[in-house]
Amino acid sequence: MTQHDTPSPTRNQAPVDPITVEIIQSSLRAITDEMFATMRKTAMSSIIYEVLDFGVAMFDADGQLASSGSGIPGFIGMLEPGVKSVRAKYHRPGDVGPGDIFMTNIPHHGGVSHMNDVVLILPVFAGDTLIGWLANKAHWVDLGGAFPGGISADARDLYQEGLQLPCIKVIEAGQVNQAVLDIIQANSRQPDISKGDFWAGVASMRAGERRFKALAEKYGTPAVLHAIADYIETGERMARAALKALPHGRFDATERTDDGIELRTTITITDDVFEVDLRGNPPTRADALNCTLDATMVNAQMIFMAICGPDNLANSGTFRPIRLLVDDDSMFAARYPAAVSVYYETTVTGFDLLWKALAPALPERLTAGHYASICGTFLGGPHPETGQALGIVEPQLGGWGAAATRDGVNALYTGYHGDTFNVPAEVAEQRNGLMVDRLSLSEAPGGEGRHMGGRGIRLHYRIMADGWWITTAYVRTENGPWGLDGGRPGSTNFIEVVRASGERSRHAACTALPLNAGDVVEVVTAHGGGYGDPAERPARQVAEDVKNGYVSPDRAAEVYGYRGDPA
Amino acid sequence: MTQIRAASDVGGTFTDLVYYEIDDRTGEARHITEVKAHTTPPNFQQGVMDALDKAGIDARQMAFFAHGSTVVINTLTERKGAAVGLITTQGFRDVLEIARGNRPDFFNLLYEKPAPFVPRHLRREVAERMTYKGEVAQPLALDASEDSEGLDAILDHFRAEGVEAIAICLLHAYANPAHEQALAQAIAARWPEVAVVASHQICREWREYERTNTAVLNAYVQPRASAYLTQLQDALTTKGFDGAFYVMQSNGGIDTVEAARRTPITIVESGPASGVLGAAALGELLGVRNLIAFDIGGTTAKCSLVDDGQVSLTSQYMIERDDRSAGYPIMTPVVDIVEIGNGGGSIGWIDDFGKLHVGPQSAGADPGPVAYGRGGRDATTTDANLMLGRVNPDYFIGGEVKADMAAVEAAFARLGQPLGLDAVQAARGVIRIANHNMANALKLVSINRGYDPRDFALVAFGGGGGMHAAALAEELNIPSVIVPAKASVFSAWGMLMSDLRRDYVQTHAVAMDAHAADGITDALGALRDQALAAYADEGVKPGRVRFDQALELRYVGQAHTVKVAFDHDRLTADDIDRVLADFHTAYEKTYTYALDNPVELVSLNLTAFAAIDKPTLPKLATTDDPAGALNAARKPDRRVDFDAQGVHQTAIYDRDRLPAGTTFTGPAIVEEAGTTTVVLPGQRVRVDDYGNLHIETGKATA
Repeated sequence: MTQHDTPSPTRNQAPVDPITVEIIQSSLRAITDEMFATMRKTAMSSIIYEVLDFGVAMFDADGQLASSGSGIPGFIGMLEPGVKSVRAKYHRPGDVGPGDIFMTNIPHHGGVSHMNDVVLILPVFAGDTLIGWLANKAHWVDLGGAFPGGISADARDLYQEGLQLPCIKVIEAGQVNQAVLDIIQANSRQPDISKGDFWAGVASMRAGERRFKALAEKYGTPAVLHAIADYIETGERMARAALKALPHGRFDATERTDDGIELRTTITITDDVFEVDLRGNPPTRADALNCTLDATMVNAQMIFMAICGPDNLANSGTFRPIRLLVDDDSMFAARYPAAVSVYYETTVTGFDLLWKALAPALPERLTAGHYASICGTFLGGPHPETGQALGIVEPQLGGWGAAATRDGVNALYTGYHGDTFNVPAEVAEQRNGLMVDRLSLSEAPGGEGRHMGGRGIRLHYRIMADGWWITTAYVRTENGPWGLDGGRPGSTNFIEVVRASGERSRHAACTALPLNAGDVVEVVTAHGGGYGDPAERPARQVAEDVKNGYVSPDRAAEVYGYRGDPA
Repeated sequence: MTQIRAASDVGGTFTDLVYYEIDDRTGEARHITEVKAHTTPPNFQQGVMDALDKAGIDARQMAFFAHGSTVVINTLTERKGAAVGLITTQGFRDVLEIARGNRPDFFNLLYEKPAPFVPRHLRREVAERMTYKGEVAQPLALDASEDSEGLDAILDHFRAEGVEAIAICLLHAYANPAHEQALAQAIAARWPEVAVVASHQICREWREYERTNTAVLNAYVQPRASAYLTQLQDALTTKGFDGAFYVMQSNGGIDTVEAARRTPITIVESGPASGVLGAAALGELLGVRNLIAFDIGGTTAKCSLVDDGQVSLTSQYMIERDDRSAGYPIMTPVVDIVEIGNGGGSIGWIDDFGKLHVGPQSAGADPGPVAYGRGGRDATTTDANLMLGRVNPDYFIGGEVKADMAAVEAAFARLGQPLGLDAVQAARGVIRIANHNMANALKLVSINRGYDPRDFALVAFGGGGGMHAAALAEELNIPSVIVPAKASVFSAWGMLMSDLRRDYVQTHAVAMDAHAADGITDALGALRDQALAAYADEGVKPGRVRFDQALELRYVGQAHTVKVAFDHDRLTADDIDRVLADFHTAYEKTYTYALDNPVELVSLNLTAFAAIDKPTLPKLATTDDPAGALNAARKPDRRVDFDAQGVHQTAIYDRDRLPAGTTFTGPAIVEEAGTTTVVLPGQRVRVDDYGNLHIETGKATA
């Protein structure tokens, strides 16, 4: 068993006036905001600048998270173990110096979710003093391995999932190790993009480094170190205050995966501890639907933030009250070299499980279940005109659960995502050489209730050249998202491939399924769960639903007793 | 007959009017005059007519009238627009509701998406399809068929539901608008009374959600905005006005009233834009080409950068976007303004964890700052300026109000108590945090965009501009601050000093190599012809039109582009190489590295200016006894707290009595009815020929 506790704070008692402390702390946020903006402007692939599959963060000299750039909540707590892994490996005097940048992508060694997420780490010095760290992690579209894009539910171990970068010093005193970059480019199916995304990460961290050093120059290193320590302590005080206001007790949930395995959790909330117990779940899987301990910890952090108050600081201090209990060598704490490329589906399933445990007790913070699958869609093939090899990596939008006071939100990214943008059809068609035939709300039945679950989507990609492929590993393809208080479950996530011949086949998981010109991939995502008994939905509202086509007249008659009254 | 040229700007409280006469013999401008009248909602045109009456202007003499109004932004924020129907390409009517799927408030699992401006049943589809190259993949079909209800059924539904305006957005219409044009004509033929706008009339850029939303918001505001402009025009015509009528645009230029009536969404940010335009026009007059316009009002501070005389534009403008909400995009060129929730009325407060914050909550006009004595209990930035002696309690708001200093001191004592700070320390804290917030906003428009503040002057206006500018310039190493004369009617004045301006952005996505040259030449030529033809229709002679051209480039795969200016009519293969070299240089300057990866063109930018006549401004009287004049402008000294720079017995000047050419050194305070200018110890001040204050901070230019 692994008990994952966070160490106690280091204290710095330098006398600095409270106004200066506040100004430095606000500047910390500005540093990570600038790192975030720079990455977004320089990155080479839409998985980074639109999907925002990247994160930036800054740390104190001990590697404790101080501030992070906004984007995906699922990455905020992820980078801290990465910095710790660098400190553990490079622990001798002189190992870490100004101008160094480290690089890692082995999930089981810390700070990484799957191998496509390449982490860059930069130590910041004021003179000779190490004053903190910056880190940047981003999803690279291809790092080699057995499967294009590096992702497949069929992967059996890490060796099939791409090139391993075992916490190496890729830039030393400002000098890049060209051999490493050459190896990466040689291994990637998208070498130009990999090179561009590497330099985008470096530019982002150097922008942060300039600001960080300027802060130390302006206010003095002791004042900055004090302000960072105080910031982390403030995070802890906020979290502990919020914890006291939460309902205390034990909260359980179970859920069945698509392959029929039961998952379970017990969450215990007291005045001092937010304990997430995930013991008793299945062992490490033979396929790639495993996640590492660090990824599981992030789930506990995200649900903790959601219920404590989304406006609170999110730093190392905030997360100190969290205790995570999980079996070693299990699907929530896989051991090296277990395959983890589809970790994101297991992690969103795990997040949904924690959400389900707490939702009945916290209707003012949590909705009924959402579509709960990243629905990562990997497509590739030659451009129909240029023949250039293309690779698309896209999560899909889906329906969110209804709340105690209102209907669910239609077509939003998962709770694991944040300020993630979809790729416009007009841009996708030019860039990727396919056609988007449809992007609409799904009209499948499901999610009915006093408040209706949000609608999932239909997205149809028409393939325009032969020699294409698609890889997916959707979950929630059998059981729809859970309703609350009598609300109906939502619908399910899947794809259908419609061949040029008209033949249809339905898939949840597929690896490099061949596609040719004229084939259409129909992505369908789930509606969220309903909230409350459908019989309690006012007739006028049902009539509006029918008028707007959110519910068909037949389904409305069946579930709500609708008789064709006008809205 | 003497000609009059006038500009009016409708604000929340006052409607400003600035005008001048042109000497019919010499052609020179004379008598620049300003008038204020009360703003008269909801009949805003009445306030404008009142101002004209107050000025005693004979409308028959008016050759030129420019107008700035908040009618569009108010219609949007108050949700008082028209019932809109939307027609899209088949398969895409939900794009408006799906939006981009993002959730900025990312820890919040009870996030609510902004509601679309058109409900689902009023979003209908027609069968048609263009490709990204602008080729017809499927012809437009208006008749009903097996999988399409047809236009007649759509319009019947819209009529039955009381639709007042129709927006059209078809896929790839930016590349070929033929289907949108045909659909708009078909609607006009079937239903001539309804307002119709198609997306390509407003913007020619890709990204269907943004373009659809832009067309929808245009339709939403069109009936009301158009009615308002017509009422104003009618009121002016009734008085005999038959001159040229222009409307202030969000892009920092003015355009004809006919254009504004067609696509009123382009005037959405005209208020803030005209302030930036005023700063740019002042810079033009003074020969200052690089400046940052900085406007501190009651609840917010706004800033925008002017580079080599050009206002900065963004095509990523959004309304109601913040950390909590994804907001709504409006894809038209808008002056790139960063706005933060810190103004004179912003409240200082302490959170549950002992951190002092300033804003974004504001005391507003009612109850207003504590000093107003109207029941405000929360200390504001304005109160802090009073507390520290920077603002004169006996000349508060031009002497209209006697500041309640006992209440101010008590408010700061309360604020500071939990932090162990006394009232003065708390007031200093509020100023320091407010300044820090404003400095961050100034960094966002300068350093974060790759500009060095040392190359810029800070033009500070609005009620609070002069109080904070000197300290901010010091903080950011900005060498000089300009506090304009007549800052209170700055926006209206800017319109009189502005050329006509139209921005054309055309998505033209191609690999940037020698093969692209002819296509770019043709496309830019077509845009220039379009601009010239539009101006010619309005009687503007081609000789008055000048163009700025730029190409938006990026490395293949990226989303963000870098603009490279280009000034030839024709593009050759050599020009392509030069443009590429400029791109790599500009990219490296901003991001510290360049790549040898392939580069692609995304969009063509064309700005068409049409020159208008501008007045030469009258100068202030100079003095042959500067020392005597300076002394005559002195008011009684007082002690002023400059925080880290000490507490000083400080000279106070009456701005209205400072003649041109006067110089003095800080610490000093300059008072006028609308505002106060703070000069820090050691800073040098000069009054220029037009009455503007120039503060030199002693920071060297880069």
